[in-house]
Amino acid sequence: MPAWAKLAILSVCGTLLVLVDRPIHLGLACAVVLLLFASLGRTAWRRVRMLGGIAIACALIVGFHGFLGSTPLGVASALRLASAAMLALMLTLTTRFEDLLIVLETVMQPLRRFGVPTERIALGIGLMLRFAENFYVQWQRLDDAYRARAGHGGGLRLLAPLTIRTLQTAERVADALAARLGR
Amino acid sequence: MTTTGSITSSRSLSYIALFAALMAVFGLIPKVDLPFGVPITLQSLGVMLAGCLLGPKRGFFAIALFLLAVALGLPLLPGGRGGLAVFVAPAGGFLFGWMFGAFTCGLLMRRMAGATGKGLLAAAFLSSVVGGIVVVYAFGIVGLSLVAHMSLSQAALAMLIFVPGDLIKCGICAMLVQTVMRGMPSWRLDRD
Repeated sequence: MPAWAKLAILSVCGTLLVLVDRPIHLGLACAVVLLLFASLGRTAWRRVRMLGGIAIACALIVGFHGFLGSTPLGVASALRLASAAMLALMLTLTTRFEDLLIVLETVMQPLRRFGVPTERIALGIGLMLRFAENFYVQWQRLDDAYRARAGHGGGLRLLAPLTIRTLQTAERVADALAARLGR
Repeated sequence: MTTTGSITSSRSLSYIALFAALMAVFGLIPKVDLPFGVPITLQSLGVMLAGCLLGPKRGFFAIALFLLAVALGLPLLPGGRGGLAVFVAPAGGFLFGWMFGAFTCGLLMRRMAGATGKGLLAAAFLSSVVGGIVVVYAFGIVGLSLVAHMSLSQAALAMLIFVPGDLIKCGICAMLVQTVMRGMPSWRLDRD
């Protein structure tokens, strides 16, 4: 199934979930979504722990409403949350990052008429990923250097040098980009 | 000496992308736990910093770019979380609040850009409290009350436990802004 179709189905299902509020209907929806999720097979189940936080949140919501004596409302909210989260996780598990990016660029195409440089979104994400890696290495180097001097990790003390290095790198990259892209 | 052109220039794009990257790295740095058990993740500090150092518009777009990458499925939030699921979670409102929090931080910081010394420290602290706590929590509380069907005051009460940690982050942010201004006198706080 193409990425745009999955996104469209996801947004329709998400809207439907908000419109339904009977716990029994939401329970049915949740069961269907769970079956769909199970149909993804073992590889998907291995990633199911990504839903751990959602499960805890659901339990807290039910507990909170149970405490106030409005259990059905709590169950409905928890079921809605669980279904929406599972649908979203299914999309993330079955679709490649690049495919979603292409859909996003296509959807945003009309904005170009208003002078929004949509082609720069992909460039921005690419730059961001490249530099996230770079900064992580820089942070580890700062931490190693601190460890060598003090015998223990630097923790929050390293934030200032890390931020200054980030800004200096940003200035250099800004110069390079301006030179290559023209403005 | 940093001259910046319009918000869509390639120069701006570089600052936006690199602050988004800083957000991602803050998600990788192991989280610090406060004595009373509330975890501090550094990413809300990244929101305050982006607003204070980049200004309202660039700060907003830096957070937006980061969240876009998260929404497309990259595991950049603490604990390797990512994908659209995090936006429907009870804390999803905070993520939307981050963008407007950074914007508010930048707006306030720019108003007080002339401050120096202790005044700068106070200005950065005030900007991060208003942008990083008041604005971000307003979105977070509305989000929680919508997802969990709580009243606004109940949701606000549930969030109070995170305020002390975030106040510490505002202090750290203020000190960082001051250090950056000392270390890089050419950096200007009055850009839009």
